[in-house]
Amino acid sequence: MVAAKKTKKTHESINNRLALVMKSGKYTLGYKTVLKSLRSSKGKLIIIANNCPPLRKSEIEYYAMLCKVGVHHYNGNNVDLGTACGKYFRVCCLSIIEPGDSDIIKSMPGDH
Amino acid sequence: MVKFLKPNKAVIVLQGRYAGRKAVIVKSFDEGTRDRPYGHCLVAGINKYPCKVIRKDSAKKTAKKSRVKCFVKLVNYQHLMPTRYTLDVDLKDAVSVDALQTKDKKVAACKATKARFEERFKTGKNRWFFTKLRF
Repeated sequence: MVAAKKTKKTHESINNRLALVMKSGKYTLGYKTVLKSLRSSKGKLIIIANNCPPLRKSEIEYYAMLCKVGVHHYNGNNVDLGTACGKYFRVCCLSIIEPGDSDIIKSMPGDH
Repeated sequence: MVKFLKPNKAVIVLQGRYAGRKAVIVKSFDEGTRDRPYGHCLVAGINKYPCKVIRKDSAKKTAKKSRVKCFVKLVNYQHLMPTRYTLDVDLKDAVSVDALQTKDKKVAACKATKARFEERFKTGKNRWFFTKLRF
């Protein structure tokens, strides 16, 4: 019961931080651009939805491992992640390039 | 945040005639060039892998089985899968972009990489690179 409560609170905090990044920072949405940002070592944090196909998820994780970039598995599917980004479409994975005013990069990778 | 598409990185080619083959990055062009305005790299790879050599084989047979057929190509980053392996073989003098301009220069570059790859295979190091990727 306590664990469930804790995840709900941190879930909301992820959403808040993500909203702040959307407003003030730089990001890219979508698998192709996420890989591009990892190749050019511009991405600082990758967020993957939970219904991402497992092959794609492990590919992104492998690239992130080579890049030494944190990956956060979002607690929600691509519809929820799109809503959290304030978009009206589905987002399966996104890459944060500049966090702006948010502290998402400092607080999230330990979270995972 | 660490660049990993650097020279000596082992990669797997994903598209084209050499799909599924392992290659090593010789030179990378992150910003692209005039002709290729995208990130790409010059890779030297294995076209035909060497066969499995067993102890029973005669010297003539091991020589025949250790042959490697190579290719040299400019590949878009999107058509490569990077791996965590590296292959430190000095190919910079043998393989360069102007080697791809004419056919005889390309053949000479492939011959040079073939020699380097074969001697590396014979030492028994980088075994992963010289085994065929099963898929």
